[in-house]
Amino acid sequence: MIQVDAAMADSGGNDEDDVELILDPKVQESIGRSLKAHYDDIVNAPVPDKFLVLLAQLEATEQRAAGASSDERN
Amino acid sequence: MSATEFKDGLIKEIPNLRAFAASLSGSMQLADDLVQDTLLKAWGNSEKFEPGTSLRAWLFTILRNTYYSLYRKRGREVQDSEGTYAERMATHGNQESHLDLADFRKALAKLPEEQREVLIMVGATGLSYEETAEICGVAIGTIKSRVNRARTKLAELLSIGSLDDLGPDRKSAAAMQRVGSEIIGT
Repeated sequence: MIQVDAAMADSGGNDEDDVELILDPKVQESIGRSLKAHYDDIVNAPVPDKFLVLLAQLEATEQRAAGASSDERN
Repeated sequence: MSATEFKDGLIKEIPNLRAFAASLSGSMQLADDLVQDTLLKAWGNSEKFEPGTSLRAWLFTILRNTYYSLYRKRGREVQDSEGTYAERMATHGNQESHLDLADFRKALAKLPEEQREVLIMVGATGLSYEETAEICGVAIGTIKSRVNRARTKLAELLSIGSLDDLGPDRKSAAAMQRVGSEIIGT
């Protein structure tokens, strides 16, 4: 807990004058696993269709524009 | 890079963009608005992306800038009125995780933004310290320092700052570091 107290006391300081705080590897690992669980839970969720629709529209618009400009050249 | 290749690249990154946006804003609804803005900006600036570099890092830079310039205030308002997404989001409840996901998200939401974003980038997205430093526009040492602070603060918020909370076997902690998943949570 000494390490945690040191972190609290130091939390107002800036990033550069850092006291080296080493958490126990098991604590670090537990946090790392939870971090991945949190993130991967969202990564693995279904992607809303609206994003795919949006990108398809953007692509179609660009292709129409490209087609129109090549028509003008021809 | 053709428009279709670029589009396919964007589609592949959407899940990561959503996860990063949710981690930043604390709201799935805001996250999806933020992802939509990011995709539109990326599309409009596609000629600025250098093929061969990390599309994820490029998109995260856009998303992060958009968040800090437009969304941060809105995020606080949404959180105040609706509670954080940690309380609202349906989750798949990871049985193997030592820490409950909802509790972890509440703690994560309490971290200062500058610590939370780097912890997510370094710890979950697959971005390197170098890429994270570039995205945030600070030195690598600053990133390392913020990650350290973030972990320490999380341990404190989750009351796992003392070894007793994770198990009694301090002597073999170093050995366990490599063993991993089976040990934590027993």
